[in-house]
Order: sequence, then C-alpha cells, then structure tokens
Amino acid sequence: MEPVKGRAGVFAAGRPGLVGVAGRRSPGMGTAAVYAEFARMGFMNMLAFRLRYYTGIITYFINVSVYYFIWRAIYTYDPNFAGMSFPQIITYVAVGWVIRSLYFNNIDSQMATDILEGKISMIMLKPVSVQGSYVSRVLGESAFRLVMLTAPTALVIAFLFPVVPPASALHFGAFVAAVGFSVLIVAGLNFIVGTCAISLKSILGLLRAKFWMQELLSGLLVPVTLFPSPFREISGLLPFQHIGFTPMMIYLGKLNGAEIMRVFALEAFWVIFLLAFGAWFWGRLSRRLTIHGG
Amino acid sequence: MPGIVEVDDLIKEFRTFDRREGLIGAIADLFHRRYQTLRAVNRITFEIRPGEMVGYIGPNGAGKSTTIKMLTGILVPTAGAVFANGFIPWKHRTAYTRTIGVVFGQRTQLWWDIAVVESFRLLKRIYDVSDADYRARMKQFDDILELGRYLHTPVRKLSLGERMRCDVAAAMIHNPPLVFLDEPTIGLDIVAKENIRTFLHEVNRRYGTTMLLTTHDLSDIEELCRRLMIIDHGSLLFDGGLQELKDRLWQESALRVELRDQDQALRLEALHIPDVVCDRIDKLTYRLHFPRESWSTAEVVRQIVNAVEVRDIAIEEQSIEEVVRRIYLGEELKEWSR
Repeated sequence: MEPVKGRAGVFAAGRPGLVGVAGRRSPGMGTAAVYAEFARMGFMNMLAFRLRYYTGIITYFINVSVYYFIWRAIYTYDPNFAGMSFPQIITYVAVGWVIRSLYFNNIDSQMATDILEGKISMIMLKPVSVQGSYVSRVLGESAFRLVMLTAPTALVIAFLFPVVPPASALHFGAFVAAVGFSVLIVAGLNFIVGTCAISLKSILGLLRAKFWMQELLSGLLVPVTLFPSPFREISGLLPFQHIGFTPMMIYLGKLNGAEIMRVFALEAFWVIFLLAFGAWFWGRLSRRLTIHGG
Repeated sequence: MPGIVEVDDLIKEFRTFDRREGLIGAIADLFHRRYQTLRAVNRITFEIRPGEMVGYIGPNGAGKSTTIKMLTGILVPTAGAVFANGFIPWKHRTAYTRTIGVVFGQRTQLWWDIAVVESFRLLKRIYDVSDADYRARMKQFDDILELGRYLHTPVRKLSLGERMRCDVAAAMIHNPPLVFLDEPTIGLDIVAKENIRTFLHEVNRRYGTTMLLTTHDLSDIEELCRRLMIIDHGSLLFDGGLQELKDRLWQESALRVELRDQDQALRLEALHIPDVVCDRIDKLTYRLHFPRESWSTAEVVRQIVNAVEVRDIAIEEQSIEEVVRRIYLGEELKEWSR
C-alpha cells in the first residue's frame, strides 16, 4: 500500500512511520529514551503522593521494632541461633526492611486495575511495549522511593538500632548490585501476576497470595535457612529468596568471591527468565483481552 | 485510490458466562459453566479513503466501540480482516499505533495526577517528534483549543471540556494520517463541542487527515462528515452520504399553514387534494402532510395559496435526528439491509 502523503504544512514535515511494515523501527537509543521518559513519569507520579511517604517511614520503623523485640527474646535463650549473632540478625531484619522499601512495588495491582477497568487500552494504543512501560515505571518509582523513603528510613534505623556495617566495601558494592536485581525480579514477577487479571474476574486473592509468598519466601520475616527441610529446598528453586535473603547474605559477608558471582548469575537468569516469560505470557493472554464499556 | 482503512467481513464474538439463579444454581456453576456467545460485530465490510471524515453511529451497545477497538489493535477479531495504514492492527500493534491517533472520549490517555504538559512530553518522546515540530504543533493547538491556560494543571483538576481538548490535542501530537475518535464530544457543552469540531475540521482540511468518529450527537456528523455509517446489533445498516440517507428515509413532507380567519379554515377543509392529509392543530393552524413521490412541496404550496388566504406557511424540516431515531427504532430496517 502506498504511504499517504501529508499536505504541505508544519504537521506534514514530521509525519513518522508512514511507510508500512517496512518502516518498523528497530529498538535503539530512541527506544531507551522512551522508557527513560516512562521512568520519569513514574517518578513524577509518585511526587504527587509524597505525603504518603512520611507515614511510610513510621510504618517501616514500627515493623523493624517489632522484629527487634521478637529476635531479642529468641536470642535471650539461644545467643547463637541460626548461625548468626544477635547484632547480625538485627542487621538482617533492619537492612532487610530498608531494601524492601526500595524493591517493593504494586504494579501487579495497578495493572490488574488497568486491565479490569479497561485503562490498559491507553497503553496498548501507544507504540511501546506494555511490559516495557510498566517495568520502566517501576524503575522511576523505585528511584523516587530511594530518595523519599529508603534513605530516610535507613538513617532512622541505623541511628536507633545496633546495625553492623557491611562486611567490606566490596561486599557493600555487591549488595547494592544485588538489590538492583531484587527490583527487577519483583518487577518481572509483578508483571506476570498483573497479566493474570486478563483471565480472572477478581484478582484480589491472587494478589494477596503473591504478597504473602513474597514476604515469607524472600526471607523478610525469617531467614530462609530457618525453613524446615522440604520448604528450604523448594524455596531454593524459586526466585523469591533472591529478593531479600541473597542481598542480605552478601551484606553480612556470608557469601564471598565466587559464591557472589554464582548468585549474580542465578539472579541474572531469574531476571531474564521472568521478563521473557512475562512478555510471552502477555502476548498470549492479551489476545483474549476484553475491554468493556467506553 | 486505495483505502487507508479496509475492513472485510469483520466478526467479533464474546463468550459470556451465564449464571444460574439461586444457591443451588451458584453451586452448579462451580462445576459446570454455561457459556453464551454474543456476536458484538457481525460481518462488517467497509473501506475508508484517505482524507475522508466518516461518522460511525448506532445506538448504545450496537458494536461501535468494539469495531474501533479492533481497528486500533486493542482487540483481536474472531474472524475477518482489517488493513489500516498498511498494517494488520493487532498483529503489528507497536508499528501501527505509531501511525494513528486515538481519542476515547470516556477515558483519558493523560496521566491523571500530573500536569498535562508532562503527558505531552511523554508523547513527544514516544512518537519521536522533533522540538521544532512539537513547538509548532503546540502553538497551533493553542490557537484553536486554547490549551495554554491549563498545561500546567494536573488532569484531575481540569473540567471535562478542558480535559477533552487536551486529549484531542494529545492524539494529534505526532500528526497521524489516520485518527479514530470514539465519542469525542460526549458530555461537553456547546462551546467546547464547537471548539473540538473546529479543530478536527481544521486538521482534516489542512493535512488531509482521515478520521473515523463515533458519536451520539448528530450535529457532530452534520458539521464534520460527508459520509455516515450506521451500525445496529453488530451489523452495518447504512453506508453513504447524509443527504442520501435523508432522501431514502424521508418519504413524507409536511407543511404548517396558519389561515387568516375561520372562513378560510372552512375553505381549506373543503379543499381536497389527493394524497394530502390535512390535520387541524388548533383553531386556524393546520398541518398538511403528503408523500414526496406524489407531490413536490412547491406544488402543494401553490395550490393552497391559490385556494385560501394564508397568514403564514412553514415547511417542516426533516431533521437527521428524526431519521436516525426511526432507524434505531427498527423502522424500515429490512429495506436497509444490504
């Protein structure tokens, strides 16, 4: 089919992509800039709700306090519980919650709402990947939370609780990289869960189940090494423990050198697998999409 | 000239889950579900040529939005073909959406909680619009739609009219050759409606932009579209010009005549013109109606004026609303089916 020629005028100068299938753009720098813009929008959007984050700091502080007292009670009876010292387990809990404030996001429920209310069509009408736009929005939101939530929470907690510093500067660097993987793993998981809303009438149950599975299996509540035998092995085969447990093991110096490289490879595998599976899953289910109303 | 949009035998079916009544029914539903197939769009075929502005109307639930959703690549049809801008919409979604603009009047594509201008910036980036083009277009949008005043306001604080202007502008930021508008004037006041129509008309005139718009406000169609498609129960009932529609459905003309006095009234009642029916409305006012094929309005007027003394005479306009209302109510549908 012949491309349609725009008439003379300012608009006509910049009519993009009018060359049919042959004119499909390959991903490149332009594409990266688009997703960076989505990330910026995610950041801006959070800015509209910044007040929410002042209460967030208090919530995290309360959570850490609760676990502090629970673990103190346990360590009064057994000072060498779970192969960690008391300051180590407190660090595990406190820093674990601090990084949760960074990797946690709720795009699964946002997506579910977008799908059930039909707002998803507004993203599908744009020449962008649906997964790409959600995931880059998550990155923008995480950047926002790093400044508004994670950093202040870290300061408050470091000041009030006996937190030990990272095992070494190198461990700290590896820890930061591992938290980067956590953000991507959670984003990849949440996109898959959100996509399920296409074939479910109500997604609340699935969202809850996934939420608690993540809280428990990520090692946020108790280190995964404390799980009873079959569950410990099963959780080793799942991506969840890399969200919280693995970064903390690096921070505390329980993993070193080659072991760190091994878990990095494993985490990279999970990120790629989850994103690829999410893209495939979306591609399959979106054919069954029904958008009511409007 | 080839069509910019070609739709061939398009079908969309939805499978709905039929719930049984009562507690026992609800339990039975757990084990065995009964499904019903609903055909929302039934074998639609049409073609739109570049530069055309086509109105797409039909009563609620007729299948308009479902058609638009398939044409824009959001929904995958059950059967049939769509070829638009050289793409199969649902197959080449990302490449295709680069070449179209879409407005869903009941939704917004703008980010609800942040300033309008941020959404425009995102769109500029998505569509790769150059700085010069972006500035020039924003200025043109501002000239007609007067966007400047609320560009820095979050969308949730805008009135519906302001939001719709922003949404229409947002759909045109990349100057797409093909634009779909699903109820772009829904819920707007007369000024805002007029404003948006002027804008659409100007964009079409200046850049030859092809537009397909659905609406319930037939004045949108009268002011913008030369061609009209009517859909009901998923099937296309009519596809043609506005005048053609009027001519084909408008089978009766009517006159309203006010007479000088009672004497003249009696004379009119006595006057007998074949096929012309005379109804008394009040003391001195009568309504005369007659088939268009047997009489021209001018001829009837001439005969009356010759016979009686008339104070006032008015020809009743057949409104497009009336024509469409009759189609929606199912009148003369058989004659219309193709």
